Amino acid sequence: MTRISLKESLFLGFCAVFILLSRAALRLHLGISGHVMFSTMFFLLIARGCVPRFFAATITGLFAGTAAMALGMGKGGPLLLIKFVLPAMVVDIGAMALPFMFQSYLLCALVAATAASTKFIDTYVMDRLVSMNPDIILQHAFLEAAPAVLFGVAGGLFVPPVIRRLKSYGVI
Amino acid sequence: MRIRLRQLFGLSRLYRGQPGTGNRRIGSIAVGAKLLGLMVLSFFAFGTRTSAGLLWLTGINLALLFVFRYGFIFLRREIKVFLWQTVIIVSLYILRFGWIEGFKPGAMISWQLSLTYVPGLIFVKTTPQPRIVETFSAVVPYRAAFVMATCLKFIPLILTEIRNIYEGQVFRGAKILRKDLLNPINWPDLVFCLALPVIIRSMNLAGEITLAAKARNFGLKKKRTCWPGI
Repeated sequence: MTRISLKESLFLGFCAVFILLSRAALRLHLGISGHVMFSTMFFLLIARGCVPRFFAATITGLFAGTAAMALGMGKGGPLLLIKFVLPAMVVDIGAMALPFMFQSYLLCALVAATAASTKFIDTYVMDRLVSMNPDIILQHAFLEAAPAVLFGVAGGLFVPPVIRRLKSYGVI
Repeated sequence: MRIRLRQLFGLSRLYRGQPGTGNRRIGSIAVGAKLLGLMVLSFFAFGTRTSAGLLWLTGINLALLFVFRYGFIFLRREIKVFLWQTVIIVSLYILRFGWIEGFKPGAMISWQLSLTYVPGLIFVKTTPQPRIVETFSAVVPYRAAFVMATCLKFIPLILTEIRNIYEGQVFRGAKILRKDLLNPINWPDLVFCLALPVIIRSMNLAGEITLAAKARNFGLKKKRTCWPGI
């Protein structure tokens, strides 16, 4: 496998920027927890769909996480990085295991749901670190993850038609 | 001396660093130390279990806000997040343990969670962006630093492109106004009329930047060279 090109790295960087811009634009306007997962999943899947490299989504997640940490966006402090990297890794693993996922609505929705459900893990870790009551941790993590999964699936469902159009325009 | 310290830690918004004097390197180290210090403060918030400890940390954070001469107005949005988070966590605690036993621990946990991300906010709001990028350049490979710095630098251009595409599509009748987007039925318009052209434009932009960088022999040397004024 050849090394990732500068153009591809820049495109992944722009996808990370889009994730951050949409997070900034969507923040608090709906008042529903997890709605930023719509754009996060959409752009992570687009990044992996447009740049067919092993760690394309993870690189996007790393860029987004580092920039979010540097720009102070979102809750989590130093743990903000895992909020972006975990779902991105799931997207990469999903794309590796299911090479034709970008042509299928079902597979994209499935991978998006799995990736979005990692919000449960980071909420759990965060709450565990501040010694929240174990029963409450589970409820809180579930309350945070359930809407994130729904919005993540919605974002994932838009990926196959967009990839199809990008291919038909000859961009990828 | 006081002015010098203020400059080093990014207290002065006018400070840019003078090329050739070594100030930029010292500035990067100072910003790195500031980032490290604030991260330690954030980690302390994870470990603190008593209200006295939380009060101390709150005091230190407030003192830092005062030292860095930033008002509390910029925390307005964060206070909203804190209140929303407090409502959720305290409600869960009250449901589980009742009013008397649930309220205080719930509020404490929410307070603690907020203190974990306030130091990060202080860092961002009180450090000039070039200093942040420069600090990152010192710790990550030059190619990654170039991509990060370029992407951050091109945010205004991307925003302008997004705005132009957005306005054009609104005039064409796309239902992507804020009130339209409250209805999920209009979300496909957002994706196909806005996100798709923006993705295509960003791909073209990435190609143009790559061409320009290669024309300037980017990647020829192992260590990145950079114009001191950037």
